[in-house]
Amino acid sequence: MLRLDRVGILRGGAVDVDLAAGITALLGPNGAGKTELLEAVMGLRRPLAGSIYLDGADIARWTPERRSRAGIGWCPEGRRIFPGLSVMENLELVATVGRMERRRRLDRVLGYLPALADKRGAAAWTLSGGQQQMLAIGRALMTAPRILLLDEPSRGLAPVLVADLFALLRMLADDGLTILLAEQAVAAALNIADRGLVLEHGRLQASGTAAEIRTHAALERSLLGAGRYS
Amino acid sequence: MPAELLTFAQLVLNGLALGAAYALVALGFVLVLNATGAVNFAQGDMVMLGGYAAVALARALPVPGLLLLPLVMAAMAGFGLLFSALAWRPFRHRPPIFGLLATVALGLALQEAMNALEGAGPQAGPALLGVGEIRLGPLGLSRASLGILLACLGLGLAQGWLLGRTQFGRRLRASAQDPVTARALGIPVDRLIAVSFMLAAALAGAVGLLLSGPYFVTPTSGTDLILRAYIAVAIGGWGSLRGAVVGALLIALFESVVAGYASSVAATAALYGAVLLLLMVRPSGLFPAPLGRRA
Repeated sequence: MLRLDRVGILRGGAVDVDLAAGITALLGPNGAGKTELLEAVMGLRRPLAGSIYLDGADIARWTPERRSRAGIGWCPEGRRIFPGLSVMENLELVATVGRMERRRRLDRVLGYLPALADKRGAAAWTLSGGQQQMLAIGRALMTAPRILLLDEPSRGLAPVLVADLFALLRMLADDGLTILLAEQAVAAALNIADRGLVLEHGRLQASGTAAEIRTHAALERSLLGAGRYS
Repeated sequence: MPAELLTFAQLVLNGLALGAAYALVALGFVLVLNATGAVNFAQGDMVMLGGYAAVALARALPVPGLLLLPLVMAAMAGFGLLFSALAWRPFRHRPPIFGLLATVALGLALQEAMNALEGAGPQAGPALLGVGEIRLGPLGLSRASLGILLACLGLGLAQGWLLGRTQFGRRLRASAQDPVTARALGIPVDRLIAVSFMLAAALAGAVGLLLSGPYFVTPTSGTDLILRAYIAVAIGGWGSLRGAVVGALLIALFESVVAGYASSVAATAALYGAVLLLLMVRPSGLFPAPLGRRA
């Protein structure tokens, strides 16, 4: 599906990843290169070296728009919803399909995120942080992705909201969505993840199942000073 | 009706017609502003170019202005595409000042080009709804002014619908708010912006034709218009469609009434003073956009 072949995102490092189905947690301290890696996959940043393959095709020259149409979903750090548009406008504008298919996608997304249905007409900037995060995820789902890239979705959320958020991600993965989740809430992320990757200074320090990563020495070492383990 | 009141009513009517012309220029300005977040200082010069296009087409095709309108708009839409390729695309990853200066430079180039081609003298374009005056009781309104008022109403409503109610408009507003995220969500930002330049130029073409009849066209006739449009957008609320129209009408009413009782020089001076005062009291304009909401 998605394969990273010696992708350099910070000087001196390279990452090899063959993304498996389910949830893959991308872990590491601030400055490890998590956001840079996700941006490279989305086409928002040119990698320093290496290649990224989607279904066997080298996507180096693909624009972000083309990557989105090919099934890569984007949920950026800080949500970056469109604040001046309503909740419904945020959801509908990214579906580059006909009215019927848009309706079908909307019903599906609101099925996952019923709280947004009550806020349809509200301006996005009036939503709480948790609701904005749900909107950012719903907006990404409206592009009908096969792979969803999420960058620190738990940042700034209360613990109870983080639990709800991660339960939603697990549900989406169980329904067939492949998720690459960059997180600093390590324990919570590994609780829902199938696999984990530990990144440090742009280098892959460890990879394996969530259980393996949880006990891996590299995790503890790389996250020293990161400040968030739970 | 007493004579003084009648004079005042006529000045208001004249002001509304003039305000509708300013509003049409401001609408094109707001369209590009909403699409790119950038200021297009050449919008007035595009109106001037539209006026010359109308003059040239009227020479070649002696038909009523109403029939020339779609031709002028189509030609100007093509020019808008070229304009976006020259003034916006090369600078889209640079700070907004680059794009702004490019539009100023292209506007000046257009003025000089038309000066060389057509000379500095005024030229009259075709009338949209014929010539003469329509009587509204004791008041008179020229057919040209009626055309401008109707065009302002129709094009303003159409633009409001386009930006507020269509998928194109939603994407345009989203692209202006956060182009990077919009791209990552599959929105063809560059294409949308090119289309918005085409629409703004087509709008400028329509305004150029409308104004070339009653007000004539000269190579520098866009300069005053863009200044008024800029002020209208600034006092109306930066990027607000409704604010731009209301701002344009207020400016023109102010100018018309003050000029009627004093002089046009006094009206211009008083206008700038009033705008400064207004922006001191309400720096965000009359209809400020909450957190980037536009149009």
